[in-house]
Formats: sequence, structure tokens, C-alpha cells
Amino acid sequence: MSIQINHLTHIYNPNTAFEKVALDDVNLEIKKGEFIGLIGHTGSGKSTLIQHLNGIISPTSGEILLDGENIHKDKTKLKEVRRRIGLAFQYPEYQLFEMSIYKDVAFGPTNLKWTEEEIHKSVVNALEMVGIPESMYDKSPFELSGGQKRRVAIAGVLAMNPEVLILDEPTAGLDPKGRDEILAAIKELHDKRGITVILVSHSMEDVAKLVDRIIVMHKGKAAMQGTPKEIFAHVKELEQMGLAAPQVSYVFAALKQKGYDVPTDIYTIEEAKQALYTLLKQVKV
Amino acid sequence: MIRDITIGQYYPTSSVIHQLDARVKIIVTFLFIVSLFVVNTLMGYVLVTALLGAVIKISKVPLKFMLRGLKSIMIIIIFTAIINLFLTRGEDVIWQFGFLKLTKEGIYMAIKMCVRLVLLIVGSSLLTLTTTPIQLTDGIEYILKPLKKIGVPAHEIAMMMTIALRFIPTLLDETDKIIKAQQARGADFDTGNLLQKAKSMIPILVPLFISAFRRAEELAMAMEARCYHGDEHRTRMNVMCLQKRDYTAMIFVLVYCGFTVGLRVAERYLPFLI
Amino acid sequence: MNMVKAEGLTYSYTKILETDHGTEEQTVTALKQVDIQINKGDFVAVLGHNGSGKSTFAKHINALLQPTEGTIWVENMDTKNDELLWEIRQTAGMVFQNPDNQLVATVVEEDIAFGPENMGVEPKEIRKRVDEALATVGMSEYAKHAPAKLSGGQKQRIAIAGVLAMKPKCIVLDEPTAMLDPVGRREVMETIERLNKEEGITMILITHYMDEAVRADKVYVIDDGDLVMEGTPKEIFSQVERLQAYGLDVPQVTEVTYLLRKEGIDLPEDILTTEEMVGAICQYKSTI
Repeated sequence: MSIQINHLTHIYNPNTAFEKVALDDVNLEIKKGEFIGLIGHTGSGKSTLIQHLNGIISPTSGEILLDGENIHKDKTKLKEVRRRIGLAFQYPEYQLFEMSIYKDVAFGPTNLKWTEEEIHKSVVNALEMVGIPESMYDKSPFELSGGQKRRVAIAGVLAMNPEVLILDEPTAGLDPKGRDEILAAIKELHDKRGITVILVSHSMEDVAKLVDRIIVMHKGKAAMQGTPKEIFAHVKELEQMGLAAPQVSYVFAALKQKGYDVPTDIYTIEEAKQALYTLLKQVKV
Repeated sequence: MIRDITIGQYYPTSSVIHQLDARVKIIVTFLFIVSLFVVNTLMGYVLVTALLGAVIKISKVPLKFMLRGLKSIMIIIIFTAIINLFLTRGEDVIWQFGFLKLTKEGIYMAIKMCVRLVLLIVGSSLLTLTTTPIQLTDGIEYILKPLKKIGVPAHEIAMMMTIALRFIPTLLDETDKIIKAQQARGADFDTGNLLQKAKSMIPILVPLFISAFRRAEELAMAMEARCYHGDEHRTRMNVMCLQKRDYTAMIFVLVYCGFTVGLRVAERYLPFLI
Repeated sequence: MNMVKAEGLTYSYTKILETDHGTEEQTVTALKQVDIQINKGDFVAVLGHNGSGKSTFAKHINALLQPTEGTIWVENMDTKNDELLWEIRQTAGMVFQNPDNQLVATVVEEDIAFGPENMGVEPKEIRKRVDEALATVGMSEYAKHAPAKLSGGQKQRIAIAGVLAMKPKCIVLDEPTAMLDPVGRREVMETIERLNKEEGITMILITHYMDEAVRADKVYVIDDGDLVMEGTPKEIFSQVERLQAYGLDVPQVTEVTYLLRKEGIDLPEDILTTEEMVGAICQYKSTI
């Protein structure tokens, strides 16, 4: 599985007063097994981009290739594309509608006309992945806490056995505990189940901690891409785009400016601790 | 697709019609609609149409905008025309096929009803096109105020209209999002028979209703926090007061009403004049 | 002088649970014997994870909820006294989490006028207050816009302006930034801090973002209905382990300092910002 995006352009309300170019000649490649962080401020085009990936909206021009085949070439296969590329929208808990957790998660597989047995297996599997125990299956999803609801909603996408999971700000509005639970579950999906993950996030700290590669969207273009080390080394450019780097990287930038010999590609707490430890111990010796 | 629905569409520009007091415009529109059923002769309709045309011209709203409103009710107009064409009883048969009879009276009736309908739609859309929703609801509140004595909740009706107008775009956005989210879970809204299609709406409607109730609850709390307690001791920032132009418009419309009634009376008792 | 004072504030409600054996009633205590005093003119942050009871506390200040036990006073007004209800709500305004669900009117300026209209303020005075409030939150040019077309941060500023037009002495903000992007969060935080400093309005910010709480004069931590910590941000955030046990974060630099201190490096434990950290490191290097 690989996704290739070629010259993707999307214009909302073309030829009207409300015309807006949301994506402007975007070229990207997403390989199997990657953990990608998609960042960019509101209106940068990241939401439009992810909705293209599973064919919820169609490009104005350009193409999206899934394993070399244009996803819009055969409309009858679009459902299969949406199965393979799972998309969990922002605040996904607002799409819950069934009487029980189990039934809600089974909605996707049922739409795919799987057999009873296959549906059961995938639902149990998906709920297990997000850490919802069997004792809760018959509960109404509306009785759950915010974090639990969200995990059930994500399970609803996972139940379709996607190869790629796209999450639009999965931690929005959650408290630190709820956030950590969701992120841990996502990390496990990637590490243990080999699912390709695209994480859309405003939190540079979360992105820095988790992903292999960052794609920065700005004004409808893929403005930057690279490893977190490469991206967060460009603090100035990021700030010009209305973004920021994790707090610790600013400490190192300031220390460097003051003439200390410190690395400037530090962005996680663990790395910061190590580097500062080395710096501060050095003197004592 | 869902965004094509336009409710209470307002055309922002400045004209005398736009500046008129909303209450005056509501009353004038009401009288105009009544007058359409008072007028009964072809000549009368020609006069009314010319008059409406002149008001549209003054309002500076492009005619195209007016006619757009008609497009959506074209089916109703055509339906009205067909019903009247064939089901009006008349003596003067022009063409007959089985029980379907095309009479001169039928043609006359069909034209009359269609003209009435078109004038009615254009006339009332002129009201919404030249009046902001907020002025409109304020106007309705003022006009209904005297009816409070007989238990008409004027303020509550106006407040409900305001809130509805405020939340229409929000709920449309939300609907769009829910549709996309369920599509991403393999939902199919386009194929299947009527029953299947109706059933496929459940995953959209349930979340939408739950969300609407949640919003309503939160909004109620936010309104309470801002000291809302009905219209008791409530003041308004924008006080409506009638200007000279409003009185002019009222006098004009009274003359117009007198004229249409006069026309009807004349037709009945002095037919030789027309 | 106290803006808000609570003694033994307790709130419990009955929840109906559906079990296999039918329905069961359960009493939930969202706030337990909370004693608190918030000074006039302070910028106060109330921290706690979701469901800790911090929102319940916020709603008591505005008399949207009334204590089942104990008492809470807003400027010496007991919220249980129904006759003072409108005066209390005018004194302590409230801004909610979801920017969409607290704007009433279809035009920005009409929405801001909503509060003063309910209070029965004279039309001319309302006009004046609306214009002032819009200018204060920097949204004057949007007076005639429809709220639906604004960004989340702008909507929250309108909500703040709507409260400002009621001339409150205190504003309670219940997670006002939880649904915003970083730009919106910054806009709202700047507005809150400015109103506190320039207009002297007491700000009570309910949040679970520690980077917002560090900017307050005083921080309270609520956990499971109990008021468990209170102090200056420095006093609170230096207790890294305790905060983490309550399901809360500390700023990255504070966490790094905590880890370094565990390794025996003697940095001050109350570092909250990048500047403080850089300063402390330079200090440390120069003393050795």
C-alpha cells in the first residue's frame, strides 16, 4: 500500500464570489507503515487534503493514486478505498448514533456487507485496540465519558480493517489523561499492528513525541516535509506560518545564541534532559 | 448541495425600501397580498404588476435575484395552471378530450391564478430581500405585541425565530460533517429503494438531533447566565421609530388599497366603465 | 476584599443508572466541602481534569447552580438568595467552552447587546457599551458580521464582549480555549490578561491547559470534587509528581527541570517558562 498525490488542486465554489483555493498543486507520497504528522494552522488546507485521501471529496484537478491506481477511476471501488483508508474526523464522537457501543462500531463493517462472523471479529478486534472492555459492549455510547466516546468512535473506523488511519485532531478538547490514552492507543496501532497513521494535530509536543515524518501545510501547499529533527530546526519559518516548535527547542535555541555548545535539534523532554545533563555536568568536571 | 437552501435571504444595498421601518414593510406586504385577491380584472393585474415593478426598481435589488425565488416554486405554479386549465367549469369549450375540457374561462382562471401566485412570491420575497432577519423578527415582535393580551407570546415567537436563523448555518455545517463522517464508514445514501434510503438517513438524523439538543441546552444556560428572563423589563438597543418616509409609504399603500377595492366595486356595479 | 468566597461548598445530584435489574439511583457529589477565597482583581486559574468538578464550581459563581450544602458569596451576595440572582449574574459574567452555543443573535453587535437588553439598560447606553466592548476585544470592524462566519477565537472574543457589555466585576471562563486552535487560544488568552490588567476585572479561568494556568496570579487544583492544591503558579507547578497524579501536565521546561533535579543537578524547582530556564542554566554555569 502506498498513496501518491500528484498535482492535487482543490477549489471551493469555483467561478463564484466565494471562490477559495484550498489546495494548490500538492505533491506527496505516503509509504506503507509510516507515522506521519500533518501540521498547519486553520485554513492551511490540511482538512481538505485528508478528505481527498479517501475520496470523500473529489479533486478539482490532479490525482490520488492508491497502489498506483487513481481512486476515482472506478466509482464502484470507492467504498473499498474508504475501507482501506480510514478517516476519523475531528470530534468523531458526534457521529455516534446506535443504541449500543457494539452496534455503533459494527456500522462500518455492516455497510461493507461482511458476514455476521467477520463483523463480530472485526468489532471485537477494534474495541480491543482502543481499550474498551467486553463488559461495556451493550452500553449506550452516550453514557460514556468524553475520552471513551472518542475511542469508541475511532474503533468505528478501525472495525473496517483499514490499512491507513487518518485522525483529524484526535485529542482536541480532551484533558491530559484522555489525550495520553488516545495517543498511546494510536501509537500501539502503528507499532504493533503496522497500520500507517496520518495524525493531524495542533500540538507540536504530541507530534514531536510520536511521528516519523512531518508534513507542513501552508496556504494550500505542502510547504515543508521531513523528520521532526529537520522540521523543528526551522523555528523561524514555522512561526511565520503561525506554528511553533515544542517549548524545549526554544530553550536550546536561546542557549546556542548565548554561545553555549548545545545541539539545536532537540524537541522532546527526554532528549532535552540528556543534552542539558551533559552540558551542566561538563562544567563540574 | 445542502447549502443551496436559502432562507430569509437578504440583499445588502441601500435604497429607500431598505431604509423603511420593518413594521411598515410587513404591514405593506400583508396588505399587498390581500389586494392580490381583491383585484379581479386583467387591467387591475397589469396595474399591480407595473406598481410592483416600480417598487423593485426603487429597491435596487436585481430582477434576476427576485426571479430566482420563483424557480424553486415553478412546479407549484405549473401545477396550479394545469388544475385551473382543466378543472374550471365553463361554457366556452375550445378543446375536449374525454373528461378534460379546455374552456375559455379555464384559460382565464389559469392565467389569473398564476399571475396572483407570481406576484405573491415576488412581493413577499421583496420583503425578505430588503429587510435583515433581525429587523424582520423585531418587526414581527412589535406587530404582535398587542396580541399579547389574548395570550400570543410575541416576544417568544420573535426570539425563537432569531435563534433559528442564528443556528441554521451552524446546523447545516454540522449536517455536512456528519454525512461525510458516515460516508467514511461506508454509508451509502444514493442507492436503494425509498425505504432503504429513508433508513440510511438514521445515522445522520440521530447525531444531528442529539447535537441540536445539546446545543439548545448549552444555549439556554448561556442565555440565563446573561440575565435572560423573557421580555419583562427588557429593553432593546435599536428602538424602532417611524420616519417621514414610513408615513409616506403608509399613505401610499392606503391609497393603493382604496384604489384596488374601488376597482373591485366598480367591476361589480359599474361594469360599463371597465 | 473577596470577589468570591465559598464555605463548605458542596454540590450533589442524583443520577439514574440503567442496570440489568432496572434503574438505580446514585448520588454523585461533584463538589465536596470546598472553602475558597478569590481576591478582587486577581487572575485565577482553576485546574482539574475532565469530570473533576471544576465546571460545577464555575457554575456556582454565576448562580446557574446552587449549593446543596454550604454557601458561596459573590461580592458578599449569597447565591441562594433569589432576589439577588440578576445582580449576581451581572456581577460575575460567564463565558462557556463552545463558542457556537453561546451566541444568540445573527449579527455580532446584536449579540453583544443581548445582556444589557436583558438588564433593561437604556437604548443609548446599550449602544455605547456595545461599541466600547467591541473595541476592547478588538472586534469593532466585525460589528455587522454574522457570528457563524467568524473563527473560533473571534467567536470567543465576541462572547467575552457580550459579558463585558454587562459591566461585570468578575468573569468566569469555563474552558474557553478547549475547542480553539493555537491562534485562537492566543487571541483569547491575550484578551483575558489584558482585561485583568487594564480594566481590573477579576478573571477566573477554568482550564486543563497548564501553559494558561502559569500566567495566573493564583492557581487552584480541583480533583474529584476536592480542592486539593492552592498557591502561586510556582508553588503549584514545582510539585510535578503530585500534579501528574491528578492527571495534569506541567510545562515541558518544568518537567525537564524536575528530571534534572532528580539526577542531582541543583536547578531551582519553580521554573515555568523558557526564559526562566535559560536564565537558570546560565546562572548555574556561571556559579561553577
